[in-house]
Amino acid sequence: MQTSTLMLVVLALVALAYVMGRKRSVQLAQPLGGIKNLHSLPNYYGLMAAVWTALPALVLLLLWVGLENTVITNAVIASLPDRLAEQSEGQLSLTLSKVRNIANGVMLGDADPALAQAAEVLTRLQASSQAGKIGLTLALAVLGVVVGWVLTKPKMRARPQFERVLKGALLLCSMIAIFTTLGIILSVLFESIRFFQAIPITEFIFGTQWSPQIAIRADQVGSSGAFGAIPLFVGTLLIATIALLVAVPIGLMSAIYLSEYATHKVRNVIKPLLEVLAGIPTVVYGFFAALTMGPFIRDVFEGIGFSGVSAESALAAGLVMGIMIIPFVSSLSDDVINAVPNSLRDGSYGLGATKSETIRQVVFPAALPGIMGGILLAASRAIGETMIVVMAAGLAANLTANPLEAVTTVTVQIATLLVGDQEFNSPKTLAAFALGLMLFFTTLMLNIVALAIVKRFREQYD
Amino acid sequence: MTLSNQYREQKADSVTTGTPSEPDQHAITDWSGTVGDALIDDPRMSTRNVNVFYADNQAIHDVSLDIGKNEVLAMIGPSGCGKSTFLRTLNRMNDSIDICRVEGDIVLDGDNIYDKHMDVVALRAKVGMVFQKPNPFPKSIYDNVAYGPRIHGLVSRRAELDEVVETALRKAGLWDEAKDRLDKPATGLSGGQQQRLCIARTIAISPEVILMDEPCSALDPIATARIEELIAELSENYTIAIVTHSMQQAARVSHRTAYFHLGKLIEVGATDKIFTSPDHKLTEDYITGRFG
Amino acid sequence: MTDQSRNALERLAANKHERLNARLKSRYNRERRFRAYGIASIALGLTFLAILLTTIFSQGLSAFWTTYVKLDVTYTPEVLYIDDATDESQLRLADYDGVIRQALSERFPEASGRQTMRNLTGMVSTSAGYRLRNRLMENPDLLGETETLWFLADDDVDLLMNGIIDRNLPESERRVNDQELEWIDSLVSSDQIERRFNTTFFTNGDSRDPETAGILGAAMGSFYTLIVTLALSFPIGVAAAIYLEEFAPKNRLTEIIEVNINNLAAVPSIVFGLLGLAVFINFFGLPRSAPIVGGLVLTLMTLPTIIISARASIKAVPPSIREAAMGLGASKMQVTLHHVLPLALPGMLTGTIIGMAQALGETAPLLMIGMVAFIVDIPGGFTDPATVLPVQVYLWSDSPERAFIAKTSAAIMVLLAFLAVMNLLAVFLRKKFERRW
Repeated sequence: MQTSTLMLVVLALVALAYVMGRKRSVQLAQPLGGIKNLHSLPNYYGLMAAVWTALPALVLLLLWVGLENTVITNAVIASLPDRLAEQSEGQLSLTLSKVRNIANGVMLGDADPALAQAAEVLTRLQASSQAGKIGLTLALAVLGVVVGWVLTKPKMRARPQFERVLKGALLLCSMIAIFTTLGIILSVLFESIRFFQAIPITEFIFGTQWSPQIAIRADQVGSSGAFGAIPLFVGTLLIATIALLVAVPIGLMSAIYLSEYATHKVRNVIKPLLEVLAGIPTVVYGFFAALTMGPFIRDVFEGIGFSGVSAESALAAGLVMGIMIIPFVSSLSDDVINAVPNSLRDGSYGLGATKSETIRQVVFPAALPGIMGGILLAASRAIGETMIVVMAAGLAANLTANPLEAVTTVTVQIATLLVGDQEFNSPKTLAAFALGLMLFFTTLMLNIVALAIVKRFREQYD
Repeated sequence: MTLSNQYREQKADSVTTGTPSEPDQHAITDWSGTVGDALIDDPRMSTRNVNVFYADNQAIHDVSLDIGKNEVLAMIGPSGCGKSTFLRTLNRMNDSIDICRVEGDIVLDGDNIYDKHMDVVALRAKVGMVFQKPNPFPKSIYDNVAYGPRIHGLVSRRAELDEVVETALRKAGLWDEAKDRLDKPATGLSGGQQQRLCIARTIAISPEVILMDEPCSALDPIATARIEELIAELSENYTIAIVTHSMQQAARVSHRTAYFHLGKLIEVGATDKIFTSPDHKLTEDYITGRFG
Repeated sequence: MTDQSRNALERLAANKHERLNARLKSRYNRERRFRAYGIASIALGLTFLAILLTTIFSQGLSAFWTTYVKLDVTYTPEVLYIDDATDESQLRLADYDGVIRQALSERFPEASGRQTMRNLTGMVSTSAGYRLRNRLMENPDLLGETETLWFLADDDVDLLMNGIIDRNLPESERRVNDQELEWIDSLVSSDQIERRFNTTFFTNGDSRDPETAGILGAAMGSFYTLIVTLALSFPIGVAAAIYLEEFAPKNRLTEIIEVNINNLAAVPSIVFGLLGLAVFINFFGLPRSAPIVGGLVLTLMTLPTIIISARASIKAVPPSIREAAMGLGASKMQVTLHHVLPLALPGMLTGTIIGMAQALGETAPLLMIGMVAFIVDIPGGFTDPATVLPVQVYLWSDSPERAFIAKTSAAIMVLLAFLAVMNLLAVFLRKKFERRW
């Protein structure tokens, strides 16, 4: 039986439990003088019965399906003779896929008896797991139907009970945010720790050489300083700085104009137009940067006498990223500027200040903390942006501050190291997780600080 | 408050004032022009036949009123009567509201302030304004007071500016409290101190007329008393027009009082007279607390 | 009040007007300049937008048309090496390219020599052979017959017809040589070559040959991925928003949840890709490149957006509604489900559509989970290997063939069209259900 079929059967049982619970409550109420003598409406008795049926069975099923593979694989590895079990991880996964193929009958012959034996173990485990899954799930569901039936009594507080279950479900849904954060931290942390076992963390953070391709060869792992991430950090900072230099003045001035000068009509037209920039997928910006902006910048700078300008320059990627962030900066600044109370503007106008004097000397200083928060959020976005740099900034890990050269960034390297069929446990792929860890914590810090600043700013004027 | 909010509020304001057909027991049925002595000799500022509209709603109906030199003129009336709107027309604070339109003449120093050639910056340097809620800028106390002189370029040396700041703070009665913390943020002052700071900020550009829009409505009684004393002192040098919702305050601080009702100026007269023997029935009803 | 200080304001008053007037002009100039900066910034932003869109549209429009060549093909058994038309394996393995070659050399009898013949057959897309095979396998009676068919031309021929390859360049700099040019001109003069609407682009999956590459595969991948995302993120997001707005007590846990949601909204998307790779693929053993994994990752990514907007629309429901229902004896849950939720739903839908639009345009995390593979088949389910529209854009933009530039731009245009429709739908919903309480 397929898992999906099993699911359907369970759902059918749930429906049955609902109907039975509901009917039973009505029946029980009859001798008492109608359903007004029930604690809750019949509906809720049905729902509670359904909960009893669905919840345990589905939780079991979910856990089973989720863990089945891992457990079986470990058992198979345990059953392998030592000479096979103690291989490097890459080889082990190769062996495992061989075992799987034999078990599925895809690969015949060539039978290392140990493999054939493991395949047998695998088949056996899979069969018993399947049987256990179906048996236990159905048993739990049927048990649930019975429990639901038995528990249905006129005095049962069905509605509050059901509402408590529902509330629990709602809480669970909102906790997904926590699980996600935890998941991110754990997944990057574990792999990073394994990476730092191979490459010292100091070398990673302070090294100035980045060439992960060399390290594919086993004898060079961790030996040549090929995982020094400084060039990536510098490249990331360079591009993010260029992006902010473009986005902050333009975004800020646009926001000021729209919120302080523009009439309602103009604002209602211009604002959505600017926000179109934020709705365009980053891959489109990347395409534009790589195909139009990069060659354009090279031609311009070579035209005025620079030589060796790369078509994949940091400048091209940074400029285009800046364009992308303009609406982000402007809408954050817009919120903040609008939060500055009008009484301050009145105070300044009342003294005879012009509009720009009021904006520069009263509104802007008042909004500054909020604007700073917005800029930090924009910086975090620029640091984490991937597609533009992947497509337009190149892979060369140059340690340079020259915006006309090609540089690479943290996100580019993560993407390059993990795209394609990589052996999952080589330092090369683990390095991507170490970079991910750096990226996550940098942006997390920026976000926390920025959000705290913005929050404090808002409280000040609330 | 965003601009649109402000606009909405103003609009709501004008809806109540601008619709005389609304069933209201105090609707003006027998109004045939302002009662009392609205016009005086040698005024500092004079208004003639002023009408103010928000889009299609008329907020002020044909008001003519003079403000004398070194006089404190109080404007009273039930909320929504247009007294604040009228006050704001006196230094063109309504300019920033797109749908607001002002008709009539408002003359200061022989110039119509709504004249095309009148410069609004120069006008506001002459007619300062203090607002309902204290609104110190998020700067130091010193910079708050120095703001006006600086933007207008009224002083050329730092020492001169120091003197101006000190004088303004002294006149506002804030010097003793503030002299040791001039470089501290003004937002750290108490509400009453903040309002006095705003008055200091206004007089630092030496205006001829000071408009005050319910300057004590956000303050406690003690702070209010200090501001009222201050108003009395300031009237030696300045002309002051004050809008207040408190009749007692009007009686305490003003020389003349103007009573507004539903956008119309009902009665003007010496404060003593208005509060003891008003000529108009509506004024009397309001003074005696039948509505308001 | 000392005499000294009394003088300060009086001194100031004395020359106030001169000083004020002296500076007025420059102050107004500065005002105008400041305003001009504002206008210039907006103009700059909008100009960028215009340049971006016109570049892409001007490059992409040509991909919606493609060049076809009309040939008389004869299914000669000898050329095809078929001696038994009922043998399916013979039909499958027959030399259909030979038929094309024959048809072309009949049309251009003067062509001879290996290289010349190769150039000649290279003018027709390699897909022509497959097309003939399919026709013949459907209808074996065609064997020995002649029919006139329009075939897709090679991408270089299309580029020339389209004017993207400049025929005035010297031969060495041009991807179409002089002889090929002559052939094309000859075809043009006999009306055997023309540009038509490119249906292939909308009905094919990916391909290494630009002329046969289409976006249907990627579009279906996007579709399945978004279905997963929508099915998970909408109910979960709404449930979380309801809990946080209506039920959450003010305690540490709630605070942590809120901080987490706000932070996740700003976590770089590529980090979600790492999460998907480590958790869904490596830990739970879900298949790589599958829409179901993509959908899961995008769900986690869009959840913060949906929760935040759903909370805003719950907040917008006035408390008076809740109080009224509460006053009739409804439980908090009943109030929420029967009264608050229906009123907040349009707003939540709007937020969800915007979240889906974001998910549709997302690329980076999907690269991590292997949705970047070259996949020719059109995916038919949630676990089939697939790619999505933005990743297709990325893949094509990386291809060396000149013709893929137009394809990439065209794919972007399709992507933008979807996004525009979704956003307009959101705007429409907002306008339609907007309620002022």
